[in-house]
Amino acid sequence: MTDRLPESGTAAVTAVPSPAPTSVLQKYWPIIATALILGLVPLRYGDSRATMGIAVAGVLFATYAVSFNIIFGSTGQLFLCIGALAGVGGYSSAILADRAGLPLLLSMVLAALVSSALGAAFSWLVVRRSLDVIFTGILTLTLSLSFSNLVLGQRNWTGGETGLVVDAGSETLLGDQIPPYYIMLGLLVLFLVVYRLLQQSHIGWAFRALRDDEVAAELAGVNVARYRIYAGAIGSAMLGLAGAVWAHSEGFIGPSTYAFGSVDVRVIVMVAFGGMGTLLGPVLGAVVFTVVDEILVSFSQLREVLYGVVIIILFLGFKLGVISEFRRLVTRLRSRPGRRGRASELR
Amino acid sequence: MTAAILDGIVLGLQFGLLGVGLTLVYGLGGVLNLAHGSMAVVGAIVVANSMAAGAPVLVAVGAGLLAVGVLGLVLDATLMRPVYRLRGESRVLLSLLLTLGVAFVIDGLLVWRYPIGSLGIHIGGDPVEILGVRMRTGSLLASAISIGAGTVLVAFFRLSTAGRAVRSVIQDEVGARLCGINPAAVRSLIFGLSGVLAALVAVTRSMTAPIPTTAGIDFTILALIVTVVGGLGSVAGAFSAGIILGIVNTVSSFYIGTYITTIMLLVAAALTIVLRPSGLLGTRA
Repeated sequence: MTDRLPESGTAAVTAVPSPAPTSVLQKYWPIIATALILGLVPLRYGDSRATMGIAVAGVLFATYAVSFNIIFGSTGQLFLCIGALAGVGGYSSAILADRAGLPLLLSMVLAALVSSALGAAFSWLVVRRSLDVIFTGILTLTLSLSFSNLVLGQRNWTGGETGLVVDAGSETLLGDQIPPYYIMLGLLVLFLVVYRLLQQSHIGWAFRALRDDEVAAELAGVNVARYRIYAGAIGSAMLGLAGAVWAHSEGFIGPSTYAFGSVDVRVIVMVAFGGMGTLLGPVLGAVVFTVVDEILVSFSQLREVLYGVVIIILFLGFKLGVISEFRRLVTRLRSRPGRRGRASELR
Repeated sequence: MTAAILDGIVLGLQFGLLGVGLTLVYGLGGVLNLAHGSMAVVGAIVVANSMAAGAPVLVAVGAGLLAVGVLGLVLDATLMRPVYRLRGESRVLLSLLLTLGVAFVIDGLLVWRYPIGSLGIHIGGDPVEILGVRMRTGSLLASAISIGAGTVLVAFFRLSTAGRAVRSVIQDEVGARLCGINPAAVRSLIFGLSGVLAALVAVTRSMTAPIPTTAGIDFTILALIVTVVGGLGSVAGAFSAGIILGIVNTVSSFYIGTYITTIMLLVAAALTIVLRPSGLLGTRA
């Protein structure tokens, strides 16, 4: 198999309508619009440290959601270790910068590479053993739980239950009130651009082909295994990087920072809500959920209950499975004359 | 060492009982019930409250089993309906997400209503000596109940007509339907039974260690691990996996330390998935 898609491969996947982008502006305007809208948040809430903290966390979750969307939305690998991969990034970067004294940027990049390697390894396992969604989910869940146990157990490195104070970054822009928001937003924009670039490259064609029909894609010469592992590696690197940036801007990480219950469940709901396999869906989901979460704070004790109810309603509403439901919606929008542009802008 | 192994067997029987409820529902309807552990805790709280209200232990236990059995039936009749309309992977995925929501609701309500509630059933009596190890009566009774429940289940599936109907649906839903078996009725039966088993685990477990309201998620994860290692849809597989994992658990926590123990259980599950996806005694290739 070659790196590029062979001729037969491209022939088979041209059935997917091409967005046919003409200029850079046309290609990237949804991302630019998102950046501009989200960029306005500090103008309104910049005075309040608490609100800005929530906003940064919201954008952080948007970056998680975009990364998860590459892994699950694009190639159908249910990675239930979003928090763990981000946590591997966060803890590695904190330890590399604080203990080993590496420069901040270098340690963040190295941390992203560690997460990437881990994600790629799991992806490789999944592909090699051709595990279905459930087994992929359980396998990666064991990674999540092992990670949280390691964090609790390896006190010398992680501070165990009390958490770890991250010094590196506190005296830079990351320790400020508003700049972390823009740094996180920059990261989100970067991720969205990566997503767009992937979509429009041969990798994106392969993703769509294998998501639509794995066997047909394989027959058409798409190396399904390789593209799955690509998605795992790229998405995990993004998760690790986001987790690392968060660790340094927050200045403190603990067992709950990257816990399954506080990261994975939310991210899945966000992505499912916004739309699997879409460009801006995960961002939309993250924004909506951050806002809803803040409204629910006043119900402190019943928050978890409401959370469960929201999940149930959300997924009952998407009875056919979120992906197909959304695709149906897109095709309906597409088939309506005059709405063509609207449908393609979301993709 | 003998003590650790015997303790492991006691613990493992609980694991097995926990896994059976989950594995049956999965093997039958392709529904991975992530609320299984939370349902067990519901049972524990019902039993604890009935006992606090002055009911005799046996009556309280009966009420707990019944309550969770009914809860299982209700779930089956309501939220699981749209799930059963799907096939294959999307069915599993939807069931997983919906029951996750259910688990959140149950856990949230329990913690809200009974923040410090817990169930501990004290079984009196002198320790009994087995192989030179003094075992608590509670542990022995819990094990006996687990073994009894396992035997009844195996007998039910092998000997009774209803049990054979269940097995036929596990093997081939369409084929079973062609033979005049109603898969929906069989699924309801098993979902209710799974609830009863969940409550039973809560009862037996509480004879050796108190069950707090927050135990749901831990139960579910343990049940998942047991199910994966034992093979989906296999009663004997769940019990053998439970005993193996129980022994691994106690021996390693005895010699190495507690947090490594959990990781070893997880690694066991991960290795099973990678090396033998059908589990120890699983039927699926």
